[in-house]
Amino acid sequence: MAESEEEVDVLVQRVVKDITNAFKRNPNIDEIGVIPCPEARYNRSPIVLVENKLGVESWCVKFLLPYVHNKLLLYRQRKHWLDREALVDITCTLLLLNPDFTTAWNVRKELLQCGVLNPEKDLYLGKLALTKFPKSPETWIHRRWVLQQILRQFSAVGHGTKQQQQLHQGEAEPADAERSQQLSDHLAGTLRQEMKVCSDAASRYPSNYNAWSHRIWVLQHMAKGNIKVLHDELSSMRLWVSMHVSDHSGFHYRQFLLSELITGVSQSPSCTAATTAATSSHHQQSSTVPIGSPHHHSHVQANGEPQGAEVAGEEERQLSFTTVLLLFHEEMELCSDLIQSFPGHETLWSHRRHVFYLWHSMRRESHHHCSTNGSIESVHLKDSDPVLPEAGDQSCAGHEESVNGQRHASEPMEVDGASLADSRDSKRLKRGVLLPSPPTLPSEHSFVSSILDRCSNPEQRRFALAYKKWLDTVIGQQP
Amino acid sequence: MKLYSLSILFKGPTKANLLKAAYDLSSFSFFQRSSVQEFMTFTSALIVERTTQGSRASVKEQEYLCHVYVRNDNLGAVVIADTEYPQRVCFTLLDKVLEEFSRQVDSIDWPSGNPETINYKALDIHLSKYQNPREADAMTKVQAELDETKIILHNTMESLLERGEKLDDLVSKSEHLGNQSKAFYKTARKQNSCCEVM
Repeated sequence: MAESEEEVDVLVQRVVKDITNAFKRNPNIDEIGVIPCPEARYNRSPIVLVENKLGVESWCVKFLLPYVHNKLLLYRQRKHWLDREALVDITCTLLLLNPDFTTAWNVRKELLQCGVLNPEKDLYLGKLALTKFPKSPETWIHRRWVLQQILRQFSAVGHGTKQQQQLHQGEAEPADAERSQQLSDHLAGTLRQEMKVCSDAASRYPSNYNAWSHRIWVLQHMAKGNIKVLHDELSSMRLWVSMHVSDHSGFHYRQFLLSELITGVSQSPSCTAATTAATSSHHQQSSTVPIGSPHHHSHVQANGEPQGAEVAGEEERQLSFTTVLLLFHEEMELCSDLIQSFPGHETLWSHRRHVFYLWHSMRRESHHHCSTNGSIESVHLKDSDPVLPEAGDQSCAGHEESVNGQRHASEPMEVDGASLADSRDSKRLKRGVLLPSPPTLPSEHSFVSSILDRCSNPEQRRFALAYKKWLDTVIGQQP
Repeated sequence: MKLYSLSILFKGPTKANLLKAAYDLSSFSFFQRSSVQEFMTFTSALIVERTTQGSRASVKEQEYLCHVYVRNDNLGAVVIADTEYPQRVCFTLLDKVLEEFSRQVDSIDWPSGNPETINYKALDIHLSKYQNPREADAMTKVQAELDETKIILHNTMESLLERGEKLDDLVSKSEHLGNQSKAFYKTARKQNSCCEVM
């Protein structure tokens, strides 16, 4: 059927309409797909809607795709006129079948800019396209463009409110407060949705780099410096990486979270608290950027009283060092656990390298600081004092002790003998406080030996030996 | 890591008889699930037919690994997993399931039974519990329990076939596969397997 040009014309227009109607009939469609079906059945639409899933029978794709494709190109070349409604429908059909068709996304960008489409609708279309094509680069790129539109809207409104607030000398009108609360709720909702879209795409396609780098982009632009979001991400990703031990992209995302958290924890309230009023006013300005982070506000207020701020800064700094130490400790524990449970995955070993390197360079940096600025050293030593905030995990603590004992025995082997860990150990002995032991070169070596002693898996042995070599050549050679 | 299917079959003189099966196809796209399920059944039966009694084997097919154990009493089980899932845990699961099944279902029913007549309900529970191998407590078991060197490894399905036999022919003759699945197979084949239609 549908051989002549006219017949194709009629058929395709019907199918495009069917797709549009399906969306009208069911606004909750959450997946699209192609149904393998080599031949058409008479008097039946090739569009099938079952349980929120929209399916296209495969036979019609070869008519449908070239037709809508040409139609849009002719419109672009100004050879064929299409009204706005037709454009919306045609680009929708086209993008669901081939989401990497940039021109169609560009047409939608224009429609969005002149208000025919709203951003949410395009995010939704992209989400559906990703259920069938989870990597589609053009879809991710368009998504970021749409998100930027939303952010721009948000910051424009946020800025307006801010100015008004200044006019009213801080007496914000309740309506304004409500409006900005609504906006930030909306933004938080969008953030959650993006995380969900990324998770789904990552589960549909292993090592989906596009999905994971989008996730990073979203955090960088929509949750900049928001430590709570970063923490939540890190803990919610834990199970995911444990179930995808060869997905390098997933672990790379974890590495990103970790380094963001370290910068965030060590730079935010504590470091800035001690700074002068000049920088704090700068902060006030930068907080007009829609980040929705409560940290900044409370901190700015704390700055009102210099002396109080300094005390608070000291405490916070101690806390932040403990937090960073805990983060590293937990990550290394997770990594050891996964390496032991699932032998022979290179991803896990390269994650270990990265985490250890991150810790190592951070420690070197703090050493460097110590030689230039003695005060930090004393602060860091004090950091080990506070009773561990939430290290109530007894089994974990017990395990640390044994690891610690091992490490202690091999301590003299360490080149940079005067390590922070050493003094911390003695403190701990004095006070009986259990702080997690940071990873060190000797502790890493003993981890590798324990793997080599027990494991017969040839791949695992190869990775363990490579890691050992890396420790010797890269880490061991550094002062 | 993921387990897609777990099935118990009886290895008859000419062909394998499916007794019970459980599937987790949530990671496949909705419209492919029925075809994928048929293919998993087809593959499981084929593998049991081509595996000798008293042996264990793992067959690699694209990004999947099919692990099979056929006991000396002709009762066999197949688990289809991804390549990430630990092989050792799969064989622990197969041992356990076959043991339980042979205790609960009389061996008289094995040669002629089918999923409707066989009364054994634990398969779905096992499949979902073992999705996370660490919760299934099989990880802590002593490694020596299973001699991994005795597991036969096939790098493709093709290596299970006899001389002159073709997978395409087996697919088109199969009674496990419906027309839609056969069409699905043809398109996938044409597109060099990994990516589906379009």
